[in-house]
Amino acid sequence: MARGRKGVNGTSPAPAADSPSDSTPTPPPRSILPIPPTTPKSRDVVKVNNANLIELKNALDDAIKRYLSRPDLFKQIHLHTDVRLALGWTGVLIAGVTALYSYRLEYEKSKPVIWIGLIVYIVLSLSQALYAYFIEGDTIFVGKRKTFDKRILTERITLNTRTKPSTPENPPAYSLSLMYRRSTNGGKSLLNRGAASESRPYTAFFDEQGVLDHDRFETWVGEIVGRVMEPEWE
Amino acid sequence: MFSEELKTLRKLGFRHLLLQTLNFASVLASGLMIYKGLGLITNTESPIVVVLSGSMEPAFHRGDILFLVNPPNARYEIGDITVYKIPGQDIPIVHRILETHDVVKVVNGVREAKPRPENQLILTKGDNNYLDDVELYQGLDWLERKHIVGKVRGFLPYVGYVTIAMNDFPQLKCALLGGLGLLALVQRE
Repeated sequence: MARGRKGVNGTSPAPAADSPSDSTPTPPPRSILPIPPTTPKSRDVVKVNNANLIELKNALDDAIKRYLSRPDLFKQIHLHTDVRLALGWTGVLIAGVTALYSYRLEYEKSKPVIWIGLIVYIVLSLSQALYAYFIEGDTIFVGKRKTFDKRILTERITLNTRTKPSTPENPPAYSLSLMYRRSTNGGKSLLNRGAASESRPYTAFFDEQGVLDHDRFETWVGEIVGRVMEPEWE
Repeated sequence: MFSEELKTLRKLGFRHLLLQTLNFASVLASGLMIYKGLGLITNTESPIVVVLSGSMEPAFHRGDILFLVNPPNARYEIGDITVYKIPGQDIPIVHRILETHDVVKVVNGVREAKPRPENQLILTKGDNNYLDDVELYQGLDWLERKHIVGKVRGFLPYVGYVTIAMNDFPQLKCALLGGLGLLALVQRE
């Protein structure tokens, strides 16, 4: 079947995956490539402190963002970051203006100004914190891709990551879950939707010195993303 | 020395830089707002002050931090320790109230039934001074309530030396802020 799918790192897909398609109607042609194998290029060595869980998670998050933001893959949507930046910087500016007012005006006259400034600042800070906690949550990457086949296909992928703390039996693990949507007609007709969730211990990707093994990590991520992007034939 | 961190920053992009500076700026802004909020609650423009002279020893020494309140409708009593600012002078003074004088005003031809606290007149003296403060008042005989920043409700010894050091050596302030800023840029939560 002309799917043009290349296995990652030289492995070939299981033949069992091909046989159901013989008895099903021809799937809609798509020019969407599955995740290509990792291209070895000169990459900076990423070295982190092994004992610091936050650094480990951040290193893997950054690697995912770099990997999925490649020109042939998704384009990152910075909505969450932009909202947080807007709320935060507005709050800081309001705080600065309030302080300036209180410096210039006499105390009694500046009291109502300070009250307003304080309340606005508290509201903005609170909304930024609530946004980051509830709406953004664990999301590290939201990406979109538009491809032109016979119609415009829009794909949207969201990745959440968490660190699973270590237990006496297992080392700390990196848990990745993603959600994927493919639609057309400007998002009105849903073509495909998928989700996946997997976790690997950090020891699978970092060696004793704390150097990140890019290839192994990108293979793992590419496998999951490729799996989720496969259309379901009904 | 910082080439590694600078390279990482450039790689991570402009948004990341904005986020990190936001972290730093919001710490400063929060501190400022907490200070202003405290001032609103205590009804005084400087809720926390540092003692600079030794005129209130043995109660307060140079370098102590004082916490002030300024209840708007309460009379100040003899024995309260107040911080006041004479108009025209920058530096507030911490001294104890020696005498008070309540003034009954005539409003619209009608004499008030009771003297109001905001018309109170006050004379102060430092515990460690020999004379009262009339010479410091720049021509006034009494302090009025509007000159008073607040009265002392609590104190912390020695902590004020940090502020004194930063005011005497402005390079220390710049160095501290610069160091904190650099740390905020380079670290990630």
